[in-house]
Amino acid sequence: MQEQLSTLLAKASAELNEVKGRPELEAAKARLVGPNGAFTALMRQMGSVAKEQRPALGKLINESKARLQELLDARLRAIEEAELSAQLGPPVDPTLPPVEPGPGTYHPLTLVREELCRILRKVGFTVADGPEVETEFYCFDALNTPPDHPARNAQDTFYFPPGARFENVSKHRSDERYLLRTHTSSVQVRTMLKGQPPIRIVSPGRVYRRDTTDASHSANFHQIECLYVDRNVTVRDLKALLDYLFEALLGPGTKTRFRPHYFGYTEPSFEVDLSARHLPKVNKDWIEIGGCGIVDPEVFKAVGYDPQIWTGYAFGMGIERLAMTLYGIDDIRVFYQNDLRLLRQFTWGS
Amino acid sequence: MKISLNWISDYVALDAPVEEITRAVTFLGFEVERVATHGAPPLEHVIVGEVLTRERHPNADRLSVCTVDIGPAGGVRTIVCGAQNYKVGDRVAVALPGAVLPGGFRITQSKIRGQLSDGMMCSGRELGIGEDQSGLLILDGRPALGAGINGVLPPGDTIFDIEVTPNRPDCLCHIGVARELAAWFKKGLAYPQERFRGEAGAARSDLFTSVEVETPADCPLYTAHVLTGVKIGPSPAWMQERLRAAGLRPINNVVDAGNYVMLEYGQPLHAFDARKISGGRIIVRRARDGERITTLDGKERTLSSRTLVIADTAKALVVAGVMGGENSGIDDSTTTIVLECAIFNASSIRWTSRSLGLASDSSYRYERGVDPHTAREASWRAIDLIMEIAGGSVVGPVCVVGGDVPWEREITVSSGFVCERLGFEIPAAEMRAALESLELNVTREDTAAGGDVAWTVAIPSWRDDLDRPIDLVEEILRIHGTERIPHARVTSAGLAAEDDPVVAFNRRATSYLVGHDFNECVNLTLRPASELDTWVSQAAAAELALANPFVEDQSHLRPTLIMGLLDTLLLNQSRGTPASRLFEVGRVFVEHIGRNYECAAVSFVVGRDAVRRWKRRDPDDFYSVKHHVAALAAEAGVDLAVERIEAVAGPGFGWQPGHSFTAGSVGTGWVARFGLVNLAMLKARGIDGPVLAGYFTVLPERLQARGQRPRFREFSLFPAALRDLALVVDKSALAGDVRAAVAAVAASAAGAAFSAESVEVFDVYEGKGLPEGKKSLAFSLVFRSPARTLTDEEVNGALRRIRDEVARTTPYQVRS
Repeated sequence: MQEQLSTLLAKASAELNEVKGRPELEAAKARLVGPNGAFTALMRQMGSVAKEQRPALGKLINESKARLQELLDARLRAIEEAELSAQLGPPVDPTLPPVEPGPGTYHPLTLVREELCRILRKVGFTVADGPEVETEFYCFDALNTPPDHPARNAQDTFYFPPGARFENVSKHRSDERYLLRTHTSSVQVRTMLKGQPPIRIVSPGRVYRRDTTDASHSANFHQIECLYVDRNVTVRDLKALLDYLFEALLGPGTKTRFRPHYFGYTEPSFEVDLSARHLPKVNKDWIEIGGCGIVDPEVFKAVGYDPQIWTGYAFGMGIERLAMTLYGIDDIRVFYQNDLRLLRQFTWGS
Repeated sequence: MKISLNWISDYVALDAPVEEITRAVTFLGFEVERVATHGAPPLEHVIVGEVLTRERHPNADRLSVCTVDIGPAGGVRTIVCGAQNYKVGDRVAVALPGAVLPGGFRITQSKIRGQLSDGMMCSGRELGIGEDQSGLLILDGRPALGAGINGVLPPGDTIFDIEVTPNRPDCLCHIGVARELAAWFKKGLAYPQERFRGEAGAARSDLFTSVEVETPADCPLYTAHVLTGVKIGPSPAWMQERLRAAGLRPINNVVDAGNYVMLEYGQPLHAFDARKISGGRIIVRRARDGERITTLDGKERTLSSRTLVIADTAKALVVAGVMGGENSGIDDSTTTIVLECAIFNASSIRWTSRSLGLASDSSYRYERGVDPHTAREASWRAIDLIMEIAGGSVVGPVCVVGGDVPWEREITVSSGFVCERLGFEIPAAEMRAALESLELNVTREDTAAGGDVAWTVAIPSWRDDLDRPIDLVEEILRIHGTERIPHARVTSAGLAAEDDPVVAFNRRATSYLVGHDFNECVNLTLRPASELDTWVSQAAAAELALANPFVEDQSHLRPTLIMGLLDTLLLNQSRGTPASRLFEVGRVFVEHIGRNYECAAVSFVVGRDAVRRWKRRDPDDFYSVKHHVAALAAEAGVDLAVERIEAVAGPGFGWQPGHSFTAGSVGTGWVARFGLVNLAMLKARGIDGPVLAGYFTVLPERLQARGQRPRFREFSLFPAALRDLALVVDKSALAGDVRAAVAAVAASAAGAAFSAESVEVFDVYEGKGLPEGKKSLAFSLVFRSPARTLTDEEVNGALRRIRDEVARTTPYQVRS
């Protein structure tokens, strides 16, 4: 009996080593410990064994059974491991490039715009939007632009023929001409007319000037403007915003300064200079970056706000110009050519 | 505008260095574009010498060898010289070895063609005092030999080229800028004191009698003075020097005097030769349509009835405020002049200058506004100068027409208001001093309880830009200094608001496409007419045209972003930069039944991927772009799967028939389109095809409309039973139509107990084993009950009913 058991175990061990898959394992299991299995058959012989031998034999059988189970378990583990290994596929070379065409890229103008919007959101500005096709009222009249101001001239501004109909761009007066907005300030007017103060918006967008295209001019470009309307808005608040904005954008040590200037829609008005010695290709102490001021009372009158109660500030700058400064680009036209070698250079945080 | 520091110093004593003055001008609000130094810079080792002898150079015909006496200390030097304009006995500037001339030119002892030269005699240009290099600078007045040249030459000057903002026409002259600097540096301002003050002698001119102004609105003031006995000649050197410094060319003494006063007071003046005024009368009138005049620049101009002219009884003499005519100007024989000092309507001059394409120093000032209340002083000043440098005397009549509207303006502002707007404190006394330094004189001061001081401020006539308290806040801040605005942290009370939905959509669409390996592009909005015509529709080309395009190929609004993306593909292709997956997010302008709509749009193209890769992937196809368009539509709340998709037909010529499809319309607020770009047209454009493209265009107002929040739909937790159904259909049958038919049958076949919750195609097969002209579509059907686990029998029963029903009611054949 003992001999039979050890023979069986040796044979089982040899057989199981050859077992490759689960069906084979099941078959082997049936051959050994199934109802008609070899081990089961041996156990049945227990009945014919002498009584006094039974305890010793019983122990031997139990040990053999445990051993057999071990062999089966080990095989099952081996099979499972082999199955997992089979899922691995061939070995990899981690230095080979991915075969997908990417990665996708954001346009540098988008990166700059979104970064500005993120910085401004933190201090309560939400992004407003408005049409690029505008009317004289929203682009000029409401912004205190005199009727014969040169900016309105057909030499400087794109107009549409009198019959043009833009169904979803509302006119303020029926006899207004449609034009392509020359600044995103028109969004300020629409936002103020639509809502009530306090208002705190940033409006980025595309604007148009009838101008020769060269390294620093393009028929369309992008601006970003902030408008804040509330009670008791001051020059100091405006300066604080710009200090915050540029420090957040360019890091500590960035400085801004105001120079008095003139815009029809703000009073007082300032040009904003940036001290940016650490930027590429800027070797000057100060570079001009935008314009700003305290909203002129005439603008409030045009949108029906009482200038005795409401005050505000506005700030605007060109996104291309800022992007050129940030990235060290000296020709505005590269933004509109979209050479992939440009597009691939810039990512978030660059 | 160019401002001379020497000239400014006539009115205000500035002792600050040039850098300080530059800073002052900048922070007063005038951007300094350039600071240039004119005249001789400090020069060492350059002294006065006298040419004693001049001999031809033995080895060079064009050179001379001179001996030059440079005074007791230096003795006599031998100098080789190439100039021709001097003679023995002339005194000249001699640069000795060791001198460094402007431009870094160092003088050394040298041999020139074998002759020793111990220094150099200098031209004006070599000394840095002008452009004259025709010969040596010959020194007038026999200055002492050996004297340093800086003591002999007129002092140098600093010229600020400044930008004057349109609200400050008062600063288009030296007195105006001097006034600002006096305020900044807290110095007094000395105005010129006119000697002539309007009193003409008893004598009267027989050449000139009167002025008539036909349109006083165009010309609120016209004054004319007559001077006889004037002798025309060059103006004196000091005046020429100043005119040149300011960028003007000297003409003759009378014209120069007028220009000088314009640069001094900002008031343009014009002088006529009295002999050339027919009928002795000046008439200020509108031109007749088609009237012609030849202006001083030699061009004949055709005028219109909106043009204001200064005329005599026979003809137009001057385009008023813009430019004189050839026929009436001062010439060398002029002896009697009529001096015009007038105010013209700014809009009228602006219109005339624009319509004639003719701008002048005069029109520039009139367009921006000239102070009528300084005109009188300006004309007196000009008369003083003319009499001083050209002689003559004033005779009658003195003609003054208009100018009778008195100037009076007061603004009341309080210190509290100023601080409130600034957000920081400035002492009241400093505010008042700032105002008064600009001659904004306080006529009344009231102190309220709490220390708030209110001032009534008299606004001078030249500051027409000031008419509200806020304007005075700016004046106080300017003089206080914008660099002194104290630092503060941003404080912001929360305003609960969300970004505009269009912005949010653009952001989602952009990040979706970037996440799917597309490169974002930015292209121009304006496109050529021919492109709209051939690629979109004739109607779009007609409706989306600008009235005044600047260049021919940028004449129309873009109706689609795809054209720009094709340009980008082409540009990269031509530069050998592999680009295949591009997109743009931006505005497009869609013509729809004769009306235009400005829409938000996102568009992408997938061109041929020219990059060779070490491992192959299946390239994108029609269904990839359909997928992306569906995803973009979903970002706008549109479920493309339930929308009707149609072949692109009619307008939209840029798409490949049979391989491009569209859903939605402007009427429903959105349009989706996707497929192949027209292959022949791509080829014509020079792009290696094929190019797949897709766009989603949506009206902003649709995005802005608040959508309905969906309600939760309960789903079964019991297991699904899956069955397949394969049908043989015509090759031309659309899978969507077949699926819809199967789904309709399946919905009823299961009965009320359970449902076929989805029917989706999972296999399309054509070829072996199928009849000609047929294909097989296989669908996966999912059955599920909300209440229990389904038995095989009931599911099989349902499937059987579906098969029978499909076979009975549809043209499709069920595969066994």
